[in-house]
Amino acid sequence: MIRLILKNIIYRPIRNGALILSFAFIAASLFSGNYLTTGAADSISEEISQLGADLIVVPEQYSAEGEAVLLRGEPSTFFFDRKVLDDVEHVNGVVLAAPQIYIATLPADCCSDLVQLIAIDPSRDFTIAPWLKESRKQPIGKDEIIVGSQIVGDVGATRYFYGHAFTIAGTLKHTGTGVDRTVFLRAEDARVMAAESAITAYEPVTLPDGGISVILVKVAHPADVADIARNIAEQVPGTKVITPDSLVSQVAGRLSSITRLLAMAAIIATLVTLPLIALISVMTMQERVREIGILRALGATRAKIFGLIFGETVLVAAIGGCIGIAISTVLLILFQEYIAFTVGIPLSVPTGGSLLLSAASAVILTTAIGGIAAILPAIKAAGMDISEAIRSGDL
Amino acid sequence: MIRVTSLTKEYRDGDRVIKPLDRVEFSCKKGEFVLITGRSGSGKTTFLNILGGLTRPSSGTVMVDGRNLYAVSDAEQAAMRSATVGFVFQFPGLLSPLTALENVVLPAALQGHGADMIGRGFDLLTRVGLEKKAGSMPSTLSGGELKRTAIARALINNPRLILADEPTADLDAETEREVMELFREVNTAGTTMIMVTHNTELASNASRVMRMERGTLAERSG
Repeated sequence: MIRLILKNIIYRPIRNGALILSFAFIAASLFSGNYLTTGAADSISEEISQLGADLIVVPEQYSAEGEAVLLRGEPSTFFFDRKVLDDVEHVNGVVLAAPQIYIATLPADCCSDLVQLIAIDPSRDFTIAPWLKESRKQPIGKDEIIVGSQIVGDVGATRYFYGHAFTIAGTLKHTGTGVDRTVFLRAEDARVMAAESAITAYEPVTLPDGGISVILVKVAHPADVADIARNIAEQVPGTKVITPDSLVSQVAGRLSSITRLLAMAAIIATLVTLPLIALISVMTMQERVREIGILRALGATRAKIFGLIFGETVLVAAIGGCIGIAISTVLLILFQEYIAFTVGIPLSVPTGGSLLLSAASAVILTTAIGGIAAILPAIKAAGMDISEAIRSGDL
Repeated sequence: MIRVTSLTKEYRDGDRVIKPLDRVEFSCKKGEFVLITGRSGSGKTTFLNILGGLTRPSSGTVMVDGRNLYAVSDAEQAAMRSATVGFVFQFPGLLSPLTALENVVLPAALQGHGADMIGRGFDLLTRVGLEKKAGSMPSTLSGGELKRTAIARALINNPRLILADEPTADLDAETEREVMELFREVNTAGTTMIMVTHNTELASNASRVMRMERGTLAERSG
């Protein structure tokens, strides 16, 4: 039976090819929407887990820039007074507070675009320090940098920022977020670099005394992160608190237009293709009336004829679904950076489990669409009068 | 083997009631070769189709090996068609996507034991002189080869009854002779043959000849 279904599919390559393409388009539209949402969510989770922070406090007027650094690695330089660090530390529920200084570089030799430098205080840091402890077994040293996955250069290589030479001490794993285009260094090295930049760089950088850009906060667990965020915003004026949830919802907002577009494409493709598929199935069935009659005469039951016609469309739909997913996966991976940049979202390849789940649900939905389109022609074929079927049509 | 009682088939064409078969009585013993002749439109094919379970009669009964063919379920009827009857149609009726051998094995494959019958399928193709064409597609076979493949297909499940509808129509004299020789061989081996044809010259091959006229069947000397 399966062999006959396969032979029939292969025997009509143009018609079935067109059907396969239609189903591939539906599956690709369904899958891509899911892929982008899951990829962005996974990316943010990875970044949050890498930063190890429950909350990020930024100057109120620079909250957009802060989010842009975190989500897309858009370099920014901004500051608020270090006094804010003490105020944040005193908010009830805050366990750790680590200041960071954000400095946008001039175009660097490692990368064609600007790079975000993040200067950390090794005595307080809990974001890079645990990673260093685990991978490098020693803290970040003088003039050493830890780079994101998209910063070119092997460990030991020298990189210049504002004319100051740094040595790459480690590379972080890919997150698909702004962290990938970030360079971490010690705050005291950043201050030396800034002081030297007046002579060594054609465009110097100025770091205000005691100025910091963001504060990464760890809260006491179990605790309501949202409550503590609200407390910080209320008790420390001039600050804005970024939570992982707010980052996710911002990405969801950015993605909503593209996922809506993909959902619309899938719906339109289904609405256009469903009658087309039904029509092609009916046409195929009408062309094969005599074949169906012969099969019945040779001993095929009505159920077998139903299975044959239904199975052919369902198999074509499943093949189309798999092809659509394979092509869209390759395209999404190839153009991942471009999509992330254009839409302005962090994006990484979703984890194996969620990728499989997205692919399986797209194939199941596409196959179900094929099944729905094939039901009526299959019922009609199964109910044919055998002798009339044999008398009519060609083989 | 077959007993047909008061078999009537009628259908409406506008206001007219057409009766291709009108209270036909017929019986056939195991191993007989019955030839049914008659003019075009006399009801021969309708009668053969009803004998094979391909179209339901308006009234009357068809008993095959003591079982009423039209009082069983679709699945049982399909199983009876497959196990008991081998059909040879006026046209070859081979499935285009399948090779000659796959077409021959198809009735067995529909019962779920196609793989076991490949050897027998090849033997049958050898018996009809087409062993070298086993892997050929129907579109590459001549009219005679197609017909012989169709006969091999009718024999795959070792049926007790062969129903042949104008099997020599459109064939040249030589191929017609080959096909009839094959049918005689099959009949001699014990298979019951019921063949309808408008060609009265084939009567010499049969043990009994009947004539269908205006929906009724009458015995003639063979």
